[in-house]
Amino acid sequence: MRFLAPAFLLGVLALAVPVLIHLAHRERRETKAFPSLMFLRRVPHRSVRRRRIRQWLLLSLRCAALALLAVAFAQPVIESANPVRAAAGGATARVVLVDRSYSMGYRDRWPRALSAARAVLDEARPGDKTGVVFFGETAQAATPLTEDRAVLEAALGDATLGWGGTRFAPALKLGMRLVEESGLPRRQIVLVSDFQSRALDGLDEVQLPAGTELRPVDLSQRTTQNRGITDVTLQRVYEGGRERVAVAARIARQGEPAGSAVPVTLELGGHEVDHRSVDLADQGAVTVRFDPVPFPQAPQQALVRLAADDLPQDDVFRFVLAPGQDVSVLIVGRDGGRTAESLFLRRALAIGDRPRFDVREQLRSGLRAQDLAGASVVLLNDAAWPGGANGQALQAFVSRGGGVVAALGANTSPAAWAASGSGVLGGGRDAGAVVDRGADSGGTLAFLDYGHPVFELFRRPRSGDFASARFLRYRRLPAQGEASVLARFDDGGPALVEHRIGAGRVLVWSSSLDTLWNDFPLQPVFLPFLHRLVVHAAGYVERPAWRQVGDVLELPALAKGRWVGLEPLAERGLRGGNGRFVTLDSAGFYELRPSEGEGAGASLTVAVNVDPAESDLRAADPEEVKGGLSRSASAASAGVPRGADPEEPHRDGWRFLLFTALAVLAVETALSNRLSEAVR
Amino acid sequence: MPAAAQARFLDPQVLARIDDLELLARTVVEGFVGGLHRAPHVGHSVDFAEHRPYMPGDDVRRIDWRLYARTDRYHVKQFEADSNANFLVLLDRSRSMQFSSHGVSKLDYGRYLAACLTHLARRQRDRVGLVTFDADVVDFVPPSAKHREAVLHALARLTAGGPGELAQPLSKVAEASRRRGIFVLISDLYEDPDAALRAVRQLAHRGSDVIVFQLLDPAEVRFPDDAATSYEDLETGERMPVVPDYVREQYRALVAEHVAALGRRFGDSRIDSLMIETTTPLDQALFHYLVRRQRFDRVR
Repeated sequence: MRFLAPAFLLGVLALAVPVLIHLAHRERRETKAFPSLMFLRRVPHRSVRRRRIRQWLLLSLRCAALALLAVAFAQPVIESANPVRAAAGGATARVVLVDRSYSMGYRDRWPRALSAARAVLDEARPGDKTGVVFFGETAQAATPLTEDRAVLEAALGDATLGWGGTRFAPALKLGMRLVEESGLPRRQIVLVSDFQSRALDGLDEVQLPAGTELRPVDLSQRTTQNRGITDVTLQRVYEGGRERVAVAARIARQGEPAGSAVPVTLELGGHEVDHRSVDLADQGAVTVRFDPVPFPQAPQQALVRLAADDLPQDDVFRFVLAPGQDVSVLIVGRDGGRTAESLFLRRALAIGDRPRFDVREQLRSGLRAQDLAGASVVLLNDAAWPGGANGQALQAFVSRGGGVVAALGANTSPAAWAASGSGVLGGGRDAGAVVDRGADSGGTLAFLDYGHPVFELFRRPRSGDFASARFLRYRRLPAQGEASVLARFDDGGPALVEHRIGAGRVLVWSSSLDTLWNDFPLQPVFLPFLHRLVVHAAGYVERPAWRQVGDVLELPALAKGRWVGLEPLAERGLRGGNGRFVTLDSAGFYELRPSEGEGAGASLTVAVNVDPAESDLRAADPEEVKGGLSRSASAASAGVPRGADPEEPHRDGWRFLLFTALAVLAVETALSNRLSEAVR
Repeated sequence: MPAAAQARFLDPQVLARIDDLELLARTVVEGFVGGLHRAPHVGHSVDFAEHRPYMPGDDVRRIDWRLYARTDRYHVKQFEADSNANFLVLLDRSRSMQFSSHGVSKLDYGRYLAACLTHLARRQRDRVGLVTFDADVVDFVPPSAKHREAVLHALARLTAGGPGELAQPLSKVAEASRRRGIFVLISDLYEDPDAALRAVRQLAHRGSDVIVFQLLDPAEVRFPDDAATSYEDLETGERMPVVPDYVREQYRALVAEHVAALGRRFGDSRIDSLMIETTTPLDQALFHYLVRRQRFDRVR
């Protein structure tokens, strides 16, 4: 039997209290006046002078109650009589959690961490089992719990510093599981880390089991100095009809001021193209802006480099400069129409650079198949689907992944649509019929599918008011099985319908995109809506210029062959069932290309940077971590009922002792009252 | 006055709030007498009671000649009884009488009782007097029909004295009393029963009536204390460590035996005695006195 809170056993000293009370109250110091001692004098002398303890039973009950309370508060734990455990004696299951986040690369922390881990291995006695776990954002067991010192030494010898951040919670959970599974009576987790404050995130969910000891080994320094690049912004500018990019880097300082002028350079394709000097002595963070540089013809590796300090991992920020990905929009107007009819479309699409819209206009009658080449989206502005070969070319364009946005107006008659054979409007009897809402001041948009990419931007409150637009006329769109209704009017009629044809999509807007049938183009929400509509129709996906260590990269699907990793993936290969997923677990540039049969030009370059939050070297108090885990453990043991595992140590004995003490006190009270009444 | 209100005035705790002893005595006595059934003792007195026909042997001086003139018959006047006896209260003022466990000390209770009895006696035309004593006589107001105020005044300024004793002061009183009368002794009687009897019997030697009121505090009778402490004798200053829990039963038995012994000895000597606790309403003592007073008249 052992005690979880042995300090409470000092309460046994309270057994002396009843005796002391008896002695202290045996005779009071003050004198009581009495008329005459004539009769008291006649009482036998010895019985007046000395008072013996006559109620031995009462005294025993009081002492027993106090002793029971003291033992109950000490929380006795009765170990199981399991012979296996008994044979193990005092053997210890010990897990060493070694922090390998990149902040451990600061100065000599990493070698010290390995030394500390080896020192823990030295503590092992015969019968003890030790395991090594390396952790960063996640945790991996380098070895199982073993008595083999050579295995453990080898694991530490092969250990390398990681590129990720720090989180204690996964490591502690893994460590607790390992020591629990060992079955040894004594359990210890040694946490070797620099105890960064951010590592404590999620620690509230971790509950250290009773009987498991956590021993922190703190490697943090009292004073630290570090500077790093926390962010880079790429601003596209168009000068002289040529696209250029302006690079700005955010540089932050942690801890004491480090030096005066620090050189910062911008490198493209391995060559330095610009450099600056920043002074971080007076401020915690500065933004360095480089001169705009022309976009390369093909994606190119670029980086901003800061003069190396004691933590070099955050001194380089990598990104990929790729030429602008414009969305080419071909506006097809009705035959005999004027260019002014597309005024709102042209003006709206002329704004914006992420992405930039390249707009061309063409009349329906003049549309040729070659006009579709290079277009991402064809916008049929009150123009019916082209007939004949042009219509088939447009159909094929969509099937290959192109997008069509059709706005129905006065000239898009049902007959014209039916003749096109596109099947977009379906063959219903009322298909394409004009709904005139002039009598009731126009209809409004009553339903929007905020889960769809077109409307997702407007999901949050005050992110766009569609209800203020009035639609005097629109065409009735029939419900079709394959189509998705993305918006409806207040009478239930579809306002925006999406058709998937092959790899592309057709979006039909049932009213005009000018002010003839509605005032929607005059509403503030028109511009972002049109941008989202066109971007979605084009299937445009913005490729980030860089990613972060720990991200999982999903590679584009290939019609033929598979992706092959170059540096640094050549040795590791690609993960996933179809080789389309890559875990980015180190900083640097990742090169991938399709396997044979695909052109070399289709290769993919990914820049990966470290998490800048990890470069904040401020440390938490290890005792705070330990105390927090202990509190959660005690709270868990008090609130969660334990299972009926016969091998589990019996920890509920204190309840029995407490109830017994209360029962003894109740008996003592009753007995005392009865004796007292009898005396009087 | 309603009976409940009368009883309230007899409560010693209530009486303790009245400073004026005369007012106290009058209030108590009038309230007490008002509650009794009237049973006057007819006799010689200055207060006219009734007429009765003249019978041979009656004193001719008592014939009412005016009534004879009106009725032509002889009638004799009868008056309320008037003993004109000496009524002397002997109040123990020894230090032990100072004891109190509930607000009214034995000395206070004795003063109230003495005042009330004096008032009651004076109401019956007795000559009233007072003796206060401890080991000796301290105050002496000789019995007189005019000494009611003097008695009340002496009672009002009465304070506890030193150690008490019965034999000497009572001996002096007995010597000084030449007429037959009524002696009321008010004391806690912390004396040996035989010694107390010897002292009291001196008063009864000339045919006087003696009534003894033994005053005891409830704490003296029951000994309810439970804290072990040192007890000090109020009269001698002697100290003694006492554990009440242990001595209580023996103490109670000794006190009961003492009271019973006094009662037996006084009874054998035809001396009325009554043990009164200081929480007892005064009417019990007054009633006891009245009964005794009537007997005094009968035997005269």
